[in-house]
Formats: sequence, structure tokens, C-alpha cells
Amino acid sequence: MLSTLTSIFIATASAQAAPPVVTPADFWLPIGASVQSHNVDLMFNIINYICYFFFAVVVAMMVWFVVKYRAKPGTRIRNDGLTHHTGLELSWSVIPLIICIGIFFFGFTGYVDLITPPKNSFDVNVTAFKWGWQFKYPNGAQSDNLVVPSGRPVRLVMRSNDVLHCCYIPSFRVKKDIVPGRYSTLWFQCDIPTGLEEKNGYHLFCAEYCGTGHSNMNRRVLVLPQAEFDEWLVKQAQWLDEIPDDELYFKAGPKIYARCQQCHSLDGTIGLAPSWQGIWTRLTTPGGARFSDGKSYADIIGTGKEYATPEDYIRDSIYNPGKHLVATYGNVMPTFKGQLNDRAIDSVIGMMKHLDEFDAKGAWTKTVPPAAASPAKK
Amino acid sequence: MTTIVTPRPELLDTAAGKDNYLTYTRGFLSWALTLDHKRIGVMYMTAVLASFLVGGTFALLLRTELLTPGRTICSAETYNQFFTLHGAIMVFLVIIPSIPAALGNFVLPIMLGAKDVAFPKLNLFSFYLWIGGALFTLYSLAAGGFDTGWTFYTPYSTTTTTGGVIPVLMGVFILGFSSIFTGLNFIVTVHKLRPPGMTWFRMPLFLWALYATAIIQVLATPVLAITLCLLIVERTMNIGIFNPSMGGDPVLYQHFFWFYSHPAVYIMIVPAMGIISEIISVHSHRQIFGYRFIAFSSIAIAMFSFIVWGHHMFVSGQSGLMNTIFSLISFSVAIPSAVKTFNWTMTLYKGTISLTAPMMYGLAFLFLFTIGGLTGIHLATLNTDVHLHDTYFVVAHFHYVMMGSALIGMIGGLHHWWPKMTGRMYNEKMAITACIIIFVGFNVTFFTQFMLGSQGMPRRYYDYQPEFQVYHVISTIGAYIMACGFFTCAVCFAQSLMSGKQAPANPWGGRSLEWQCTSPPPHDNFKSPPTVGNCYDFSMLRWDEKEQGYVVDKELEALAIAAEARGHS
Repeated sequence: MLSTLTSIFIATASAQAAPPVVTPADFWLPIGASVQSHNVDLMFNIINYICYFFFAVVVAMMVWFVVKYRAKPGTRIRNDGLTHHTGLELSWSVIPLIICIGIFFFGFTGYVDLITPPKNSFDVNVTAFKWGWQFKYPNGAQSDNLVVPSGRPVRLVMRSNDVLHCCYIPSFRVKKDIVPGRYSTLWFQCDIPTGLEEKNGYHLFCAEYCGTGHSNMNRRVLVLPQAEFDEWLVKQAQWLDEIPDDELYFKAGPKIYARCQQCHSLDGTIGLAPSWQGIWTRLTTPGGARFSDGKSYADIIGTGKEYATPEDYIRDSIYNPGKHLVATYGNVMPTFKGQLNDRAIDSVIGMMKHLDEFDAKGAWTKTVPPAAASPAKK
Repeated sequence: MTTIVTPRPELLDTAAGKDNYLTYTRGFLSWALTLDHKRIGVMYMTAVLASFLVGGTFALLLRTELLTPGRTICSAETYNQFFTLHGAIMVFLVIIPSIPAALGNFVLPIMLGAKDVAFPKLNLFSFYLWIGGALFTLYSLAAGGFDTGWTFYTPYSTTTTTGGVIPVLMGVFILGFSSIFTGLNFIVTVHKLRPPGMTWFRMPLFLWALYATAIIQVLATPVLAITLCLLIVERTMNIGIFNPSMGGDPVLYQHFFWFYSHPAVYIMIVPAMGIISEIISVHSHRQIFGYRFIAFSSIAIAMFSFIVWGHHMFVSGQSGLMNTIFSLISFSVAIPSAVKTFNWTMTLYKGTISLTAPMMYGLAFLFLFTIGGLTGIHLATLNTDVHLHDTYFVVAHFHYVMMGSALIGMIGGLHHWWPKMTGRMYNEKMAITACIIIFVGFNVTFFTQFMLGSQGMPRRYYDYQPEFQVYHVISTIGAYIMACGFFTCAVCFAQSLMSGKQAPANPWGGRSLEWQCTSPPPHDNFKSPPTVGNCYDFSMLRWDEKEQGYVVDKELEALAIAAEARGHS
């Protein structure tokens, strides 16, 4: 066992000197891709070998004694075993104690590295909500996946809109709870770029139970070289502005809808919230759906009423979702104030008006420019 | 303090074995209003096993749902309710009461040579509190269920729309009092009702374990009660205690909760350790190795259990300094656990080992507890815990301890004392087969989950990444295997009840007092006051073919007494 331990030490020592690599997944651990992962993996493996050793000792003794001293009923009961042996008992109290203190110490120093972000880190603001993530960058850009520069420490400044969440990136060996009402931070550095292809990215999970969509709060961490990242960041900040007004609903709409789809279906499937299927007809024809307080759409939408137009109602439902609840649905939607601007809301409303052009997953199925297809559009 | 029951003269004459606690009186009320600790123990056992069936069914439903990513048999909401119910039922209704309340109630007074526990009426009251708590838990299902996780973390638990949250909190609150009263009863019983000659260090180790457990029950459970009250207050009256949107602090809740729930882990495991001390020494007919170290390690674990709760919160936002302190203290639990494990193993050395069904469970415990204990090191170590926290690694770790150790210990204890409780033997081959099936199924189910967790799969996930599927499928197959094992075990017990052989007074060759009374014991436990000797000196026992059990051999006894006298001089 000692030789294995030594070889691990040597391997890690040389790994630290060598250029950064992504350690491949093995029997126990997934791909290790951050500068911190090597130390965590080393600790994990050392503990593993200690465990194998003690497990083997206990089971070997157990099996050996049971085989050797097994007796049929009727055998004379022997009475020559030790009743106690203070030296032996002290040794298996003290030796584990020393080993434990050693493990504690290395775990502790590793932990200090894990929670202390370097001074030059690049900050990303993270908002977790039921059930999704939003990543906001210093220039105002927003993203659904966490895109970060390579070769530079990244610090996530995280907050929650509602309940406890937890940001967990297995391949970076980092995890931190996000507690509503306070900021929590987490840092990592990944030296190998992955590109923007989602399938090459690393998983980002929510690891603190937060309700129905808990297991769907997974995103990808995508790592870009610094130059490419800067370019992406600028583009990302402007993406909504660059789309012409009349193309907003099918270019931006589906992207924004991706955040809504967990609860709002497009094909009438009953989810946690009303389906968008036929929503515009419902909003504009008398009767419509009822609210939990008994009112109908017609009671609140129209000239002189609470909302002058259906568009006003939709906009307010996105910003103040709990105000009017459609009957039988709970107050579960988070507010999108500060996350969706006017153009984003325009895209969503546009999409609602042209739902026949989208499939059940929210992909736009038409190829003809909308200007030619529906001249009646505003 | 004990109930004084005047023996009915007509029963005194009947032969031993006919007048027993089961036949002493008849009718529903004679059970429902009984003050006999043995009957209360049997009622607890029945209720706990019924709850185990329910909790186990939920476990199978969970594992079935996890066969494929996405929907397999139920929706995410249903799945969340299933795992919450599985956790809550198994923790509060099964494991916590299983050993102290069910087996402990039956065995503790007899082991002490007493007629009953110190407060028999309080004992019955504890049982009805348990029933009340269980009814509230059932009612919570009718009231809309609850999807908070068994930990009831705020602010999710105070904001979720499921309607059963308050009933189940009430249920757990009541169950807590059941647990406190049982603990109180046992503490007083051990202090006051030990027979002359039974000094603290002559008590069987199971009693030490129950005593240590009782101390934790009495000291820790009130904290849970107050925490749940605060939760109910916040949920019903919107007083901000834990919810930050009302000025509360969710991390405070976690501190309160784990201040109870970490010691609760030891409420579950320490009595199982006591059972294993009994099983291993009795079935290897060998003086337990290092009695004092084992006894003191139970007390040490009980004490350490109160100061390690923070290791549940290493990534929760607790300060780095606190994490460091809690990590260091958490390692201290490793020492008494290591002592126990090595001492049990050494007890096998130069023993006269019978591979009976209880012994098989004892050995299974030793194997599984070693894994469960050692993987605790990964989780006490700060930097590896950051990666493993809230993943399946933790799920596997605590199942190895809670199920592989506590529950296997309980089932082992049930096999050990079954002849005493029912007066019947069971089909040993069938029981051993069941044990092996459960052991194999358990390892297939939960060892896979260690890998799943260290590979990065978070717990409480309804849906998962496709690369995890192979582990989930293996784990689910393991769960089905385990179910077959438990089914075999149930058939074995049912068969024993219907047509099992009459049990002798001492089928395994034990020396503690419960093996001196008939199987099943008479209503008053002992016809005459039992003699207290060294409960781990097996040298005077000999297998008696006619009796089909062990008897004290007069010649060997004389030798043993002479040896003891020589030892003292």
C-alpha cells in the first residue's frame, strides 16, 4: 500500500509541475478539470487506500476467525481467549487517532485553498431560482449556461430568489449552498477551453433539494480562451438588440421560452402552470380562464379596467407573477423583473401570438420570413 | 415503582412454558391496556415492522422510478413525496423506535432481572404517543402529502404548497415525546432496578448501549420538538424565524435541526452496536473482548454525538472556522467506532462459533458497518466533502450505517430474541438464506451508490444525466433482491409462528439473565430472583441434546467458580 501511496504522491507532484491537464474519469471520480481538482482527488484517493487497508484487515480477521473457530453445537465451549488486552486496545484507539488527525490536517489545508478565491478573479453574478439559473456578467450580458474564460480564476457571487439552492460543478470539485437573503461565493479556475458546444461543457447541478424542478436545474459550464470569451461577452450583451423588431418573436422568443418551458407547455400538457396553448384566444375572447378569486380575464382586461390590453396583463404577470393566479395553480412562479427587459417581453408576447408557428418544444417550424407569411402582423 | 401484580394462584401450578406472558390474560383489552413491558415491546415491534413495510414499499417505488432518466412510473411531484415519506417513515417511525422501544422494551427489564420497567404506565403512554404520531403522519397523506424531504429544510418547508406539512410536523413532534419518555424510563430502570450483584460493569453491553441511547434521547429530542414548533409557528402565523423574506435565517434552522438529528443518528446506531456486542459474544460463546472499552465507547459516542452536528453543513454557508472545528471533532467519532469494530472482531478469536442466523446478521453488520464507518472519513474531511456533499455518496454512506448497520442489527436482534419473544424456533436454514440475500442485495444497491455519488450525481434527483443510468439500474436490481430477502425473512417468521418448534430456555447459549427464564417468559419474568453472574462467561454451558438448547453444567460451573476464586486470590 505504501508503494501505491508513494506513486500517487509522485504522480501528483509531477502533475503540478506539468502543463495543466484534464484528468480523465476513473472508477470513482469524474473528469477533473479545475486547478483545484487535483488536490481533492489526491486526498480522496489517499483516504480510499486507508479505507481499503482497514477494511481488508477487519474482514480478513473476521473470515479467518469464523472459519478457524467454527464449531457445531455440542462442542465443548473453550475458555482460553483473552478477555481484554489494554495495549492492543490502546493501539487501535491511538493509531486511528493519529491517522485521523493527519487526514483532517490535509483536508483542512486543501479546503482553505478551495474556499479562498485569488485576488484577480473574474466575477460572475449568479441568481438561482425555482427552477433555473441566470448568469450575469459585469457588462450586463446574461446567459443560461455558465460561460467563463480559461486560465483565470472565476468567482461566482451567488444569490437565491426563493429557497435554498446549491451550485455544484462535479468536474471542478466545487460546491456551495445558495441561501436566500445572503450572498455566497464559490471560485474555480479551469485551464482547458471547451468551446461553446454544449455537449463538451461540464455539468452544473443544483445539489440542494428545492422542489419539483430540482433535478432539471442542470446547466453547462463552457470554458473559452480569454480572447474568444471577450468577444462572446460583447456579443452576448447585445444579442437582443441586434435582432430586427419583426424577427424578435421567432429568433429571441424560443431562447427566452427555454426558461419558461419547465412549467408552461405549448401543447396543452398540464404542468405546474397554465399551458400557453391558445393563450391569446383565451385572453381576447370573453369568458376565458378563471382566476382563483373567481374573476375572469374579461373582468380585468379592457379599457378602464386593471389592464388596458392583454399585452399589459402578460407583462405584469411576468414581473408580478403572484398577483392574479389562474384557478387551481399555485403561486410558484418567480419574478423576472430585472431579467427580462421590454424587448425580451415583446419576444415572448410575439411568440404567444404566433404559437401555430412553433412545435411543442418551442422550435420555430416556418422558414418563410414572417413579413411575407403574415402581413397582418404589427 | 414497578407494578405489583398478584399472581393468580391457579396459574402458579401450571407447568413452566404454559403460563407465559402471551397466555397470561386474553382478549384485545388485555393487550391494549397492558402494562407488561413484554407485550408493549411486541406491540411496538409489530407496529415498527408494519411501518418498515410501508417505508420499504416507498423505497422500491423510488428505485423503480429511477430505472430510467425522466419519467418512468410517476411525476416529479409524486417522486418528491415518495422520497420524503420514505425518509420520514424510516427515520421517525422505524429506526428510532425499532431497537430501544421494540427490542429494548422486551429485553431490558429481563436482562436486569426486573419485573418491568420503572414506570410501566409511562411505557404504555409512550406506545400510544407513537401510535398518535403515526396517525398524524398517515393523516398528512390525506391532507395533501408533503414534499419537503425528511429534513424539512426552510424556507422550502414553510413555503411549499403541499398540505400535509403541518400534520407531519405534529406527528414527528408527538413521536419525539414517545422517544423521550422511553429514554427517561430506561435511564431510571437501569439506575434503580438492577438486581443485587449486578454492578455497572456486570451489565450486559446491550444495557450500556440502551443507557447511552436513552441519554441522547432525553437530551436531544426536546431540541427537535422546539424546532418543529418554531417551523409550525412560521408556517401558520408568518412569524419570521427561518424564512429570510420575513427576516429569518435558514441556516439557523439547519443548526437546530442537526443539533437533534446528528445525535439521532446515534440513537439509531448505538443500540444496534449493543445488540451486536450480545450476538457476537453469545454466538461465539466467548467472553466479549475488552468489555470496558466497548462500554465506554458507547458513552463516548453519545457524548461526541452532541458536538459534531456542523459536519452536515460544510457547504451551507457556515463559516470556514466553524467548518474546521466541526471537521476536527467529527473525526473523534472514528475512534470509539474503531475500538468497537476491532473488539468485536477480536471476540471471534478463540471462540466457539456457531454460525446461526443471528450470528450471520452479526457478521453482516460487522462487514457493512466497517464500510459505512470508513466512508465517513471521506465526508468528515473538508475538501473531499465539498465534492461529495449532497450526492449519492452521502446517501450510500448513511444507508450503510442506518440500514446496513442499525436495521441489520435490529433484524439480527429480532432473530436472536425471537425464540424468547414467541417461544418458537424458526427454520434456521431459511433465515440464513434470507440474511445472505439481504446482504447481497444491500451491497448491490448501495455500493453502486458510492460510485454514483463520487461521479457527481446529486441526491433527491427525479431526473438524471444518461451517463448515470447504468449505476441506477444496478442499484434498482439490488433493491429488488433485497426485497426478496426481506420477503423470505417474513415467510420464515410467519412459518415459525404457525408451526415452529417449541423454543428451549437457552437456544443459543447465552448467559445474560433473559436466557435463564423460560421461553416465552412468564408474566413476572422470573419465578424466583435470578442469580447474577458474569454474563459473558460461557465456560459452564453445555449443549443438551434432549433440551435442544444450552444448560448450565454443574461440574463446569464448579470449575468456573473455582477459576474465578483463583483469579481473585
